[in-house]
Amino acid sequence: MNPAKEKGSVVVQTVSRIMIPFIQLFALYVIFHGSLGPGGGFQGGAVFASSFILYIVVFNIARGKKRVPESTNTALSSAGLYIYAGVGLLSMIFSLGAAQYLNYGFIPFTSHFEGNRAIGIDLVEIGVGMTVMAIMISIFFDLAWDKGKEKEE
Amino acid sequence: MKRFKATALILVILLGGLFIYVAEDIPDFGDPNAPSIKSVKLFDLHAGPSENILNQGGIPGALTSALEKRKFPLPSRAEKVPGEERQWNIFIPKNEAHYANEEKYYWVVKEGEQLRIYRYAFVVRWFEKGLKETDVPNMVTHGLADYRGYDTLGETVVIFTAGVSVILLLRRRGKL
Repeated sequence: MNPAKEKGSVVVQTVSRIMIPFIQLFALYVIFHGSLGPGGGFQGGAVFASSFILYIVVFNIARGKKRVPESTNTALSSAGLYIYAGVGLLSMIFSLGAAQYLNYGFIPFTSHFEGNRAIGIDLVEIGVGMTVMAIMISIFFDLAWDKGKEKEE
Repeated sequence: MKRFKATALILVILLGGLFIYVAEDIPDFGDPNAPSIKSVKLFDLHAGPSENILNQGGIPGALTSALEKRKFPLPSRAEKVPGEERQWNIFIPKNEAHYANEEKYYWVVKEGEQLRIYRYAFVVRWFEKGLKETDVPNMVTHGLADYRGYDTLGETVVIFTAGVSVILLLRRRGKL
């Protein structure tokens, strides 16, 4: 039996096809409004990953892998960390010898020290969100992978 | 076996009692003036004439020497707590060993003939200066990503490491 041809429930598939984009939109809202209200990188990343996990559960792993290829996933997970550490490194470079690692105020986004810090916090949250999302999807793929089905493919 | 269960029951009851006893001391959620959130008690001093000195913004010599003896940061000036009698905020000077700027550090309360010296908890500074310093209204976020940036970087590394170890342990198809 080919897993790609398995049919799930039509009702569940239709509803989740409509819901998934909204879940992802909500996840982006949670990440970007982390500085204004409840939310942040960890939570938004978890919500984003849960939308993909819903997709994989409702459809199947083969289709899920087409949507989120493992290579992209691995690249995203380390890219988030690179963004975080890179923002820290940028602030170290722009602090001109003071070695203020992760002191975002020195990066000249705006003319205000405090405004720079706010933007730096947002960037860092995006990095955290990317890593959390990619790692959660990757762990789910690894746990959901079925040895028997893979051999028959 | 039966004796074992009886011991366990007694221990559970004792532990429950201890929890209820301790829960009396837990402050209300989000109350910035709760004693355990606001300050840490350091020591008592005999007041003497220090009230006048403190009211004029000076530091009594007894207080300075007591702090020096205990190796706490040395004070620079005093200020009355707004709206309170017999309470003072004491500041530490610029470029102290661990603080670059002048910070509100000690809280002195006069009760009877005793001066009670407290140190402000970090949370107080967080409440008062967080929004001003980072332009981010959410206290949790600016604490997480700015004041504790190193901590969050470490947490992200932990998540990344967990993902990589799951890949190494479970992903065994074809080439690694």
